[in-house]
Amino acid sequence: MKSRTINSLALIVVLMTATVLTGCSTSVKRMDAGEVTDLSGTWNDTDSRLVSEEMIRDVLGRPWIDHFISEKGDLPAVIVGDVRNLSHEHINVATFIGDIERELINSGGVVFVASKTERGEIREERQDQELNASSKTAKQMGQELGADFMLTGVINTILDTEDKEQVRFYQIDLSLISLADNRKVWVGQKKIKKIIDKSTFRF
Amino acid sequence: MSQRCLNQNKGTRKPLFALSCTVMALALSGCVGVSLSYQRDDIESLLLTQQPARALEILQEREAEFRSKSIYLMDKAILLRMQGELEASNTAFEQAKTVIQKLDAISLLEQGAAVTINDSMRSYLPPPFERALVHCFKAINYLELSQYNGARIEILQLDELLKQKNDIQFPFARYLSGLVFEFNHELDNALIAYRKAYQAYESTGTAIPSVLQYDLLRLTEYLGLNEEQEQYADQFQLDAWPKQQEVNQQARAIALIFNGLIPRKHSIEINAHSPEDGQLHRISTPYFEHRATRVYAARLSSGSYSTQSEILDQLDRHAQAALDDEMPAIIARTIARVSIKNRVVDETRNNSSLLSFALNIAAFITEQADTRAWNTLPQEILLIRLNLPPGSHDIELELSGSSLPGSVKSWHQFNINRGEVKMLSYHWPDSHVTDRRP
Repeated sequence: MKSRTINSLALIVVLMTATVLTGCSTSVKRMDAGEVTDLSGTWNDTDSRLVSEEMIRDVLGRPWIDHFISEKGDLPAVIVGDVRNLSHEHINVATFIGDIERELINSGGVVFVASKTERGEIREERQDQELNASSKTAKQMGQELGADFMLTGVINTILDTEDKEQVRFYQIDLSLISLADNRKVWVGQKKIKKIIDKSTFRF
Repeated sequence: MSQRCLNQNKGTRKPLFALSCTVMALALSGCVGVSLSYQRDDIESLLLTQQPARALEILQEREAEFRSKSIYLMDKAILLRMQGELEASNTAFEQAKTVIQKLDAISLLEQGAAVTINDSMRSYLPPPFERALVHCFKAINYLELSQYNGARIEILQLDELLKQKNDIQFPFARYLSGLVFEFNHELDNALIAYRKAYQAYESTGTAIPSVLQYDLLRLTEYLGLNEEQEQYADQFQLDAWPKQQEVNQQARAIALIFNGLIPRKHSIEINAHSPEDGQLHRISTPYFEHRATRVYAARLSSGSYSTQSEILDQLDRHAQAALDDEMPAIIARTIARVSIKNRVVDETRNNSSLLSFALNIAAFITEQADTRAWNTLPQEILLIRLNLPPGSHDIELELSGSSLPGSVKSWHQFNINRGEVKMLSYHWPDSHVTDRRP
């Protein structure tokens, strides 16, 4: 009877030690970038990807590019403007804007112009070239391509919380505005809704 | 005393009665002694002599204990911002938020340890006012970094938190929300936040600061809410206030002074010795010491422009209200723990008197109140608003009442454009304990 109790105790100690040791070790598992992983319920890579996919599909499927090309005989030049994050979270908008930019350029239908901060760096380099590069290779100032459209947008959220349950509603609105006359030539919208059930107990 | 505090006292009556009965029973059965237990922390001493850099070194030398990780991170974030490392401070605050979110779930293991050993066996879950302050300080860091949208996000999260904890009234958090909306040029949202700040001051029975009075009048007038504006004008007995059109032409500097140090929690211990069975008994509960700030006023000036500070909020009141809220649960756990410990000692006595004696000593020693709290917080928050002509200014902050070096702080060539607002802040922990007794 006594030895059975000692054995049981030993087994518990071994199991607990194994659990603690497993908990202490760091494990890394590589996974596909497209795989959905929701840990906290906040904005993550999946949301960013869903937004960029929806926006790319929409912006390329609309007639504004054809209208512009038939009217001007050239590809539209687009610049990324301010995408305001009015949500409850610190969201990195650069990821899905980067995706949209890449897909639009690769589609061959649109030309992108460097953003305000990127332009500053390039202008500095051009100034440097004027002083230091050979006249054959130095790039001239004042030869920049002016954008035809500006991509702007806003991210909004609505939260509804009751005890441990929370509904998170994200709405992303992007617009393409003509710099010549302020016309909105395209408006894209993506809505994401999540229900987060927080756990009541922890270890 | 606020209505909320009165309600809390009603709520604590039953457990207090039970605790009194237990103490009486102990007193009747033997000799009873009451002692106060307190210790001074190195970090506190360094802060009182205005050495936040050394205080941060000491903090980082200590290993962050798992159960007090949230306090470690919140202290680290404050010490970083005191040295002007605002981005690093925000990283620490964000880590603290993640830890706190995880602690929202109940740990049965920790709860079990709390009713058998002591309350410090639980992970420290900051009370709602401390959680709100994490967002507030993070928002202030963003404002000082001129990242107004970041501050706005924190304020939205703060609003969500206050909505969930709808029983806490936090005037400073609401007023700061209004300021953040103004920085983002959202005057309608700013007015809503100022109204909530006004309600919070009213419900806590605190005088409405004049800056809030002027803000309410300015924005209700600008947004065409004439009836509401007349009500405020009547109530505050004001017939002149800055107009929004004037404000748009000026440059404004807003300074927040985090004055003093929040009172420390200590424990009151009731020790008893039972002559019948020789058992030792202890009941230990936390209480706050009483502190006073040394600085009684602050002045912000630039050339011929100068303005005085006013108190925006007193955090020691919020800390005391949070402890009052928690006290019924503390007392209930204490009673349960004393019963469990006594029963274990009684039951082992028949088998082994030596083991019973050892258990009694262990139970007696481990019975300690949980005195953990976010101790790097200030005792009170002062606000100064200085209207200036647009341009570059040398701004000086002068603190009255403290003899320590550094009580005059300068910001040189501080540039503020027309219609722009800039945030400044300064921590001045110099303060003293007025009474260590409860």
